[in-house]
Formats: sequence, C-alpha cells, structure tokens
Amino acid sequence: MSKFVERPKYVCALGGAVGTLKVLPRTVPVLHAATGCGGNVALALNQAAGYLGSGYCAGQALSSTNTSEREIVFGGEDRLTEQIANTIKLVDGDLYFVITGCMVEMIGDDIRNSIKKFDSGDVQVIGAETGGFHGNYYKGYEIVLKTLFRDFVEPKAARDSKLVNLWGVVPIQDVFWKGNIALIKDLLNKLGYQVNTFFGDGETLDSLKNSAAATLNIVVSDTFGVEAAQVFEEVHGVPYLTVPFPIGDHGTTSFLRKVGSALGIANPFVEKVIEREQAHYYSYFERLADVYSDLDLQRYTVVVGDSNYTQALTRFLADDLGWLPELVVISDFLTDEQQDTVRSNFTGYESGILPELVFDTDASNVGKYIARHWGQSSGQKYFSGFNPGFIVGSAIERDVAEKLGVPQLTVTYPMSNRVVLDRGYAGYTGALRLTEDLLSVLVGSR
Amino acid sequence: MDYIREKTPPVREDRLGACQAFGGSCCDLASQSKKGCLYNNNRTFSQSQGCQLTLSLAILNTIRDSVIVVHSPIGCGAGMVAQAGTAKDWQKLRDPNAFGLRWINTNLDELDVVNGGEEKLRSAILYADREYRPSAIIVMNSCVPALIGDDIDAVIEDLQKQVSARIVPVHCEGFKTKIQATAYDAVYHGVLRHLVGVELYEGPELIIPDELEELKEKYRISHTVNLLNVSSMSRIDEQELVKLLKSLDLNVRILPCYAHPDDFADSFEAALNVSICATHDDYFSEHMKTKYGIPFILETVPIGIANTSKWLLDIAKFFGIEERAQKLIASEVRELDAALAPYREFLTGKTALLGGGEIRILTTAELLHSLGMEVLGLRGFHFDRYGESLLEQLLEDVPASERAIINIGAGQPFEQANLLAKLKPDVFVGHPGGNGWANKQGIPVFPLFGQTYNYMGYLGAFEVARRLTRLLKNTSYSRNVSRHVGLPYRKDWYDQDPFSYIDQGAADQGVAL
Ligand code: SF4
Repeated sequence: MSKFVERPKYVCALGGAVGTLKVLPRTVPVLHAATGCGGNVALALNQAAGYLGSGYCAGQALSSTNTSEREIVFGGEDRLTEQIANTIKLVDGDLYFVITGCMVEMIGDDIRNSIKKFDSGDVQVIGAETGGFHGNYYKGYEIVLKTLFRDFVEPKAARDSKLVNLWGVVPIQDVFWKGNIALIKDLLNKLGYQVNTFFGDGETLDSLKNSAAATLNIVVSDTFGVEAAQVFEEVHGVPYLTVPFPIGDHGTTSFLRKVGSALGIANPFVEKVIEREQAHYYSYFERLADVYSDLDLQRYTVVVGDSNYTQALTRFLADDLGWLPELVVISDFLTDEQQDTVRSNFTGYESGILPELVFDTDASNVGKYIARHWGQSSGQKYFSGFNPGFIVGSAIERDVAEKLGVPQLTVTYPMSNRVVLDRGYAGYTGALRLTEDLLSVLVGSR
Repeated sequence: MDYIREKTPPVREDRLGACQAFGGSCCDLASQSKKGCLYNNNRTFSQSQGCQLTLSLAILNTIRDSVIVVHSPIGCGAGMVAQAGTAKDWQKLRDPNAFGLRWINTNLDELDVVNGGEEKLRSAILYADREYRPSAIIVMNSCVPALIGDDIDAVIEDLQKQVSARIVPVHCEGFKTKIQATAYDAVYHGVLRHLVGVELYEGPELIIPDELEELKEKYRISHTVNLLNVSSMSRIDEQELVKLLKSLDLNVRILPCYAHPDDFADSFEAALNVSICATHDDYFSEHMKTKYGIPFILETVPIGIANTSKWLLDIAKFFGIEERAQKLIASEVRELDAALAPYREFLTGKTALLGGGEIRILTTAELLHSLGMEVLGLRGFHFDRYGESLLEQLLEDVPASERAIINIGAGQPFEQANLLAKLKPDVFVGHPGGNGWANKQGIPVFPLFGQTYNYMGYLGAFEVARRLTRLLKNTSYSRNVSRHVGLPYRKDWYDQDPFSYIDQGAADQGVAL
C-alpha cells in the first residue's frame, strides 16, 4: 500500500501525459477532465521545470472540456466529442491525443465512444486514461508511450540496421531533457547510428510513425519507459536495451560499451570513439588541476532525486570528480524489484565509494538521513560531520541546505530557481557543463 | 449571509449567478447582466483553467506556521513546487523566522479509489502534527475523495482531539464549479468556522478590571480596521495602503494573506472590514457582519487615482473623518499629478487590452485611462454583480468605453489571440500565467499584478506609469519572438468572430443541476 508524500517531486499521471504530449511535435493534447486539472499541472510544469513555457498548445491553451458537476448528470462523452471536433477545427495539428483526469474516469465516461467518431477523419485521434490516481508523472509518460506504440506507430516489415530509437529521458521531469537527448544522440551518431529521439531537436511525428523500422530501442533508464519498451517489442518486434543514464567519463564509457555490444559494433571501433571523447573531456577537466587543490574543492555530497539522475550524478561525483557522495536519497515510487535494479547501479565504483542508498519520498527526511550518516555535532571539540558538504538535488533541498549552511545545486525536478534552455548534463560534454555549474556555486562569492 | 453552519460553502454560480462565458461590448454586458441571463453561458471549445483548489492555494500558501495537507491523488496542488521559494521569501517579509511552505499530498491511488482514502488522510494529519508542530493544519479536499465519499470532516473532528494544531478543512473540490473564485469562499469558510472566534481568543487577561484600560481597549478597537489583503499584491502595496490608513489614525490588522493562524482569532475586534477586492472578500465580509456585526467596505480596489481616493473616502466616511481624508487626498493627488506628467506625455494615445479578474481589470482600465491611454477591450475571468457596479462606474468615468470589447472567461487564450490580432493594442495587460501567448503575437505584455511590485495606492499609480513607460521603451523581445514562432490556431480562426465558441443560448436550454 502506498502512503502520503511530503512535498512530492512530481505531479500526477495526468501531468506526465500533458508534459510528454506538449513536447511531441505537431501533437495536440485534448484533456477530458474536471475544471482545474489543466491549470493545476500547467503551473507545476511551466514554472518548476526551468521555466519551460507553455509549449505549442499547452499551458492555458491546452484544449480541455473543463467538466464540472453540473455537466456530469448526463456523463461527459457528448461534451468530449464536441471538444475534439472543435479542437480539430481550431488548432493546427497532425495528431490529437485525448487524455483524462480522475473525475471523468470515476463517473464512467468512455473516451473511446468519442474517439471512434473521428476514425474516418483527415487527422488521427487517439487517447488513453491518464487520471492522476494511476500514478505520478512517470506513469503518465509510460501510458502515453504505450498508447503511441499501439495506436500510432505503423507496423514495419523491414528493419533499418543503422537506426535506433531513444527513450527513457523523461521530458520535463528531466528538466534538461532537451539538452540530454541531443547529447546522447550525438554519442550514438558517433557510433554510426541514426537516432529517433521523438522529443529532441528537429524531430517530426513521421519519425515516430516509422519508428518500428529501428533495430533497437535504447531505454536510457532502468525504471522509466521500460514497460513501454516491452509493449513496443510485443507489438512491433523491436527488442530493447535498458542502460543507465550516463553523466561523465565513467558512466558514459560504460554506456557506450553496453550499447556497442548490444548493437554488435566491433570493440576497437567503440574504444576509438571513447578514446577521442575522453581526450576532449580531459582536455577541459585538467584545467581544474590548480584550483581543485588550491581551493580544496572536494566535498562530501548528498544526492537527491529520481533513479535516473541520482545514479548518474553519484557515479560522476565519485568516479570523475573525486567527491564523496556518501548519501543518496531516491524519491521515486518504485516496486521492490525496481529498487533492486536501481540499487545495482550504485555499485562497482572505481573510486571505491559505496554510497548509502535510501528510498524515501518525503522531503523532510533528507535532513534526518544526513544527521544519521554524518552525525550531529553536540559542540564537541573534535568532530567530523557533513563538512565541507554539498547537496545536489531539487529546489526543495534548498531548505535543508540553508539549515545546514551548505551549498546546493538544483539539478533534479522541481527546479524553480534556474532557467534551462538547451543545457544538458549527459555524456562527456554534459559533465563539463555540470562541473562548471557545481564549481561555480563554490566560487560564486569570490 | 449565513452559510457557515454548513460544512461546505455554496458555489458562486448559485450564490452570485456568476457568468463565465461572454463576448460583446461593455454596453451589451452591462445590460444583459442586469437581466440576469448570463449565468448559463458555456463554451463549445474551451481551454484549461484552474480550479477552486489551485486558487485556494493562493491564500493558503501564504499562511504562516501551518502545514497544508492536500487530500487527493499526487497531482492536485502540484503548483506548490513552483511557489515554495517565493512563498518562503514573502513569509519572511512578515516574520523573519517563518519556515515557508510545507505541504503533504495524501497520494490517493487506484486502490484508494475503491477502498476510500480516509486512512491516508488520518496518517498525513498525524505526521504533519508530529513532524512540524504547526499552529494549523489545513486540509484541502479535492475531486477524488469527494467522489468516493471520504468524510473529511469526520476524520478531522476525530483527530482534533489528539492534535494540538487547529485543523482547518477547506472544501475546494475542483469539479464543483467553473468559477474559480469560489475558492475564496472555500478558504474563508474554513477560516470562519475554525480560526475566527471568541472560543479561540482569550483576550488580554485583566485580574482586577481597570476601567481606564478597558476604555482604551474599546477605543483601540473602534479605530481598528481589518485590511483584507490579496495574494496578488506585494508587501510594498500593503505598506502603501497601511501608510494611507495610518495617516487617518487608524490601526490596521492585515488578513488573511501571510497572516499567522492565531491572527484570525480576535479578528472580530475591529470596527470595520476593509476589502480591496470584492471577488476576494465578499463572503468573509458578509459573514463577519452577520456573525459579529462588523460593517464592511467592498466597493473598489485602491488601484489608480480615482479608485484609491474613493476607497479612502469610503473608509473615512465610516469614521466621520471625511474632511481629513479629503485633505490627505488633495495633497497626495497634487504631488502625484506632478510626478506623472512626463509619463502621461509618453503614454497618451497608447492603446491597451486588459485581462484578469473583473475587479482588477476594471479599476486598472480606469488607471490607464487616467494616464492618457485608450482601453480597447477587457477580458474578465468571470462576471457578477460586483463587476456590474464597477463596470457602470467605468462607463460613466471613461468616455466611449461602452464601445470597448468585453470578453468573459478564465484564460481562453484562443479568444484573446483573435482579439489581439484584430485590436492590435500597443500593450496587453495580462494576468500572470498566460502572458506568453501575447508576447508570441508580438504584443508587449504588462503583468496585471506582481507580488514584488507596487500597483496600489498613489505610489502604485506612479509605479504602473513608470513601468509601462519602461516596457514600451523597448519591445524587441516580443517582436523578435513573434517573427519566428506562431500560435497553434489555424489561420482562418483570425477571420472569425472571437466569440464563435461561446454558446450564449445555453441560458434557454436550462442546464440540469
Ligand atoms: S482533480 Fe479536481 S481538485 Fe484536483 S486539480 Fe483537477 S479539478 Fe482541481
């Protein structure tokens, strides 16, 4: 049984659906929900994700039936049919995707009765139940992908052996998704592959429609998008690989080796790519050689966030930057099985660091874990605590950072204190951005 | 007015016959509103809006030393993640030790939908009390528990016995109303039932009654006003209004935003409730009158010179100190007029479209007019009798304003886009949250309010003039953006009547309740 969440770091499944659809090209989400659901998620998505903005047709422009009590006496299906018809008339798009809020599901509306009226139209209308009680943002992402794979992606007989699909970087919930996708795509290009990223720069709905021609689905996560990849395999026969989201040399090198081996790329070629990337990476990383020691920039670190970011950040901090990320708090909803998989990503560090890993959804507990891990000073003369410390987490962790008097950088959602455009932290290049951002906090007052 | 014996307040569709869909001229709206035929208007295409719950948070977010428990699936109230930072800063402006925003979501899932969510609510309230020891725990009810029949009042009544914080239920289920402002009634309903009242307030303890002290106390109360602030105003706005009231020798107690839960307890010890927005406060003011006999002033918002002066005079009239107020107003206005001269010169002839809450846009329109600007149209979130009287005032004050377009609806940026394309104003004055669309059309946007800027009182009028002038000095941002991105609507939309999707006929069909 699930429990309450104190200061949740995600919105509901509906929010995940809106978020995923609002950044899919030429796609128009049509919301069938109670009056406030659209506005409710808009605030969380626009202003807590690096000031993302309303997108093509979301935010206040999101098409929504705004169903209220007075209309549900007769059910809301007729109103939905009218809303879909008028959305098509008014809003320019290629795919119209109906999603639902809790209340219309609970009163028993069947969106399919409305959707099927548009079967013979010029544009495609599909839909899915995404009410908030189904889960959090990631669930909404998952539901939307599954629906697209079943109802939108066209079956393909032939495979393109040089084409892969990329999933698992969850738009908006990963505030740097746009930059991260571009960075990972670039790495895969260097391995000699074309990549459908669906949400990245220059993508079209056609690439999604034709994505069953790919030879592999690469899911850059052990938790997000995995169910959807299974559906893709079931429906279209394209296999999938799950691989941890990579940040920095250690994470990315292992990422490239795993992907290379899954794709059957000759080892020496992969190693050549790695070598070239490392040379570039360390040509910048070495610049810190003076300041790293002169200013003693090594820190004890707490990493707070989702299972994708925390493992990538921790490996980067421990094995690349030489910090001491000894405590990690993961705030996702995970099954026991998923927790085990996630746990396995925090082992085998070259640095020998073995972080303490906690699964906890409640923000206030982070401070308690810090106290437990490093101990609390009771004024004794000789004391080793969380000092010099650093917290890498979401904007919510500012409270605990302030209380403990340690610096903090917001990397995970929610992010109301940074503006993000195309910045990304993935791969080798992304890790350079991250290094700049982390260390800039430390030299910020100089 | 007396609804507070009920567990839940009525919705504004029923209580005020509020309208949420209309398009026409100001003159049309004024006459149709009088006939009372706007109440059932609807849209056949609509865009997302907020709900009672999201707007309730506008006040509840600010209450110090409290914890908010949102009883809902994980998403309701999620906007708090975007507001936690500023909420903390702004609470600290009132109390440097304020903690900021603390909230818990009960995370109702598929199982709870079948089995009920009362247990989760119970555990969340107990956790809030144990973890934070707050003065108040505010429980917000949402759609799902209302539909599954959770009895939150019973849970709260039961827990109140073991919890030291005051537990305040707020019934703000989103699906109950399309008039988002019902939120204010929902919040005040909870406040009136659980925070305001003699049973909480023990008063200054007087062991031996001291007649002089008692008289002093009576005098203090007879010169105390409750200034009912709104979360869309800034601390600077508050300070400006307090300064004006103090110069009339009045004591000011500020409620409800950024107040401590205990501040409400003795709030009935006041001579007058002074509202600055009827949309916000009519429910509270009316009930304070019914229950405690405190009169109120609700007419207008102190935005712009005319309305600030009117607001002050109304208050002064109540205390029988009109002459003093007149003097104050005269000197303030004289000074302000001189300061405004260069801005008036720059702004004269500039055109505007405004969007936001009815009270705020109607008074802001008057302000723009007084700065020499021309108001081409207004877009109000909803319309009711409080808007009606302000609209009449505007029609009187501003020549030719009966021709201005007026459009009622929360958000609905597609109607706004059509209007902006047709009216081509020099500036759009818009409610924050949906202003990007106007920027993308190449129209610079002046935010209708901002919690870090000054808009109210005489100083606010000056600040608005100054900032509008600054905005219009360089409009490159919106121009550049509009050159390279478009809005999502099909081209032919801009040739159509902006109000094509408003079904004004719904009134005749008698929608079932
Ligand atoms: S489910 Fe109801 S209470 Fe929650 S955001 Fe939607 S309309 Fe508002």
